[in-house]
Amino acid sequence: MSEIITENKTEKKMLNCKINGVALFVKEGSTIIQAMYENQQKIAHYCWHPGLSIAGVCRLCMVEVTGNPRLQIACNTQVIEGMDINNTSAKVIEATKWGLDFHLINHPLDCPVCDQAGECGLQDQYMEFGQYNSEMAEPKTKKHKVVDLGPTVVLDSERCILCSRCVRFTDEVSKTNELGIFNRGDHAEIGTHAGKKLDNKYSLNTVDICPVGALTSKDFRFRQRAWYLKDAETICNGCSTGCSTKVYFNKEGLFRVKPKHNAAVNGYWMCDEGRNTYKFVNKESRLLKSYQFKNNSWGFESMAGAATRNLINIFKTAKADEMALVLTGQQTVEEYEAIVSFFADHLKSKNIFHWNNNESTVNDFDGLLIRGDKNPNTKGLLQVLSKHQISTKWTDLENQLASGKIKNLVVVGPENISVYNDLELKLNLFSKAEHLIYLSSASLPQWENIKTLKYVTVIPLKTYIEKSGTFINYAGLAQKFNKVTTVVSEALTVSEFAQLAKGEELKIEYVVSENLMTSEHQRADQVVLEHRKKNEFVFNRGQF
Amino acid sequence: MSVVKNDSKSSQWYLPGILTGLGITAKHLVKNLFNKKEMITINYPEQKHEYSPRFKGNHILTVKKDGSLRCTACMLCATNCPAECITIHASEHPDASVEKFPISYEIDMLRCVFCGFCEEACPVDAIRLGPEWQTPGVNGANFNYDIKHLAYRANLKGGIQSVVDDVERHKSGI
Repeated sequence: MSEIITENKTEKKMLNCKINGVALFVKEGSTIIQAMYENQQKIAHYCWHPGLSIAGVCRLCMVEVTGNPRLQIACNTQVIEGMDINNTSAKVIEATKWGLDFHLINHPLDCPVCDQAGECGLQDQYMEFGQYNSEMAEPKTKKHKVVDLGPTVVLDSERCILCSRCVRFTDEVSKTNELGIFNRGDHAEIGTHAGKKLDNKYSLNTVDICPVGALTSKDFRFRQRAWYLKDAETICNGCSTGCSTKVYFNKEGLFRVKPKHNAAVNGYWMCDEGRNTYKFVNKESRLLKSYQFKNNSWGFESMAGAATRNLINIFKTAKADEMALVLTGQQTVEEYEAIVSFFADHLKSKNIFHWNNNESTVNDFDGLLIRGDKNPNTKGLLQVLSKHQISTKWTDLENQLASGKIKNLVVVGPENISVYNDLELKLNLFSKAEHLIYLSSASLPQWENIKTLKYVTVIPLKTYIEKSGTFINYAGLAQKFNKVTTVVSEALTVSEFAQLAKGEELKIEYVVSENLMTSEHQRADQVVLEHRKKNEFVFNRGQF
Repeated sequence: MSVVKNDSKSSQWYLPGILTGLGITAKHLVKNLFNKKEMITINYPEQKHEYSPRFKGNHILTVKKDGSLRCTACMLCATNCPAECITIHASEHPDASVEKFPISYEIDMLRCVFCGFCEEACPVDAIRLGPEWQTPGVNGANFNYDIKHLAYRANLKGGIQSVVDDVERHKSGI
């Protein structure tokens, strides 16, 4: 967020400087570490974070400035005109090395049980600068382990290097001030103020910014080692803010969501609620096959595509005003376009309704990221509907269902059903239709509670992780995202459903074997070189 | 490798060679008949060969002094395993000083190549390859060995103790 603020300020003078022999043009007032960070220069650091204030406590980002006999910390030294900086000299490396040794004096080295292992700042810098035996002969100070900080975070004070990033986060970003550093000297440790818990809507950001394994997420704790996971970028579909995120996954499913820096939307942060958006994607909570409810029982399991083909006749023969479509704000713009044009242009039906789950809270905003509209693409849906000149009221649907005018009702159900409190109520309403076609990615146990079912076909859909598309957020910013991986391969996207319902064949993209290795034909979940480098230990095994 | 051909005259006389060979066989037959103790072959399966204790046979999960599992579920063995035959599921231990432990640890013995990389990767001497080398089983036998078998099978007599002890390490200041 701070970056947005600095960008909005008036134009600043640019300064010439030289970092590691490379001539750079830097904004006036920026620190050396900012200049290096923006120009992709490597520098060791723990306490500095681009989204937080400067603390200058880790003493690791040492640089040598020509003309100054002593080393300076890069995070708290501003660049001046003609500065000649370097952080690769023997003097700097020696200083960083011994700075690191001080950090490791009381570090317990329990990497085998530490969740951070594999993505730990201490491990990275040790491989870069350290690789020595500790000079300390005294026993290590023991501190508290497995401290329950709150509903989401666990603290291990032994591993903590007191960089104070988490403390500054609760002071400056979440503004909840739960965390502090207590005691002195080598007994100093992170803790919460008496009787308070680290319990805010952004608490898991402290886990992300912790450079070591001191703060770990309760949700992710011990479920996977970091090196077994691949990551891919996507857009959070938890609310209409549309934060840029990274999801971490492997063949067993998705395991966690982390924020990705996006100055225009979310800065460096995301909310705790958004981190749960991987859960409804995993196979346990998904609808895997198509089912039919007929003659008072669920049965006739079939594949999604075959089930959709069976519906072609209904779409051909039914009258336009006997059909209706219900959409939620959880699908992509491309899918809305496909299904709405299928209904409006092909079937000539204008009975398209917007299922709005939170009309009263739509404009809520907590001041940082969380918005009351829990759909990522309400704006997109409204844009597509207005493009096709559709303006219907929800009460029309209720009346028409009650009078029995609508015979065939297609509902594109929500993915994230946990934010749809009115789900069961709405299912009761939909079940009044003679034939309900319910498209859903989530398997719904709620069907059991609905006694008025007549004839229902449920068809599995893909989630936002499994398709490419566009979400338009609250501010009207269209954000494209790519497919991450496939969880339920037989599920359909809404566009595919519309295509099949029209009677067309699905276009299956195939690649000629000569083009297989080119970058545009790479599978979305293919392990690329970047990942290989990251997981060097796994992939290079046997070469040494 | 190259083939060496011997086309000399003497090599065409095959009978002396055969007789020499038969002689060696007869010599060993007579020797074994009168000196059974030094016979190299054994009557398997009634008699079994004793390998050295360093032989890389079936895996053993070691235990702590109190008999609980030494493994910390760090997954380094599973990561290092070239056959990918180790599956571990970790969980939170009620004791904060232990923190993490495996609730399931399975080795697919039919996949295992007995390379010993798991043993080398282990930071706490929790897994060893023991001298046991016979793993017979009839149709449908379970070769997915679990914790119960790997650590507490009958012939381990309550478990093999690990040499790495956390309590002692903490006392010495690590």
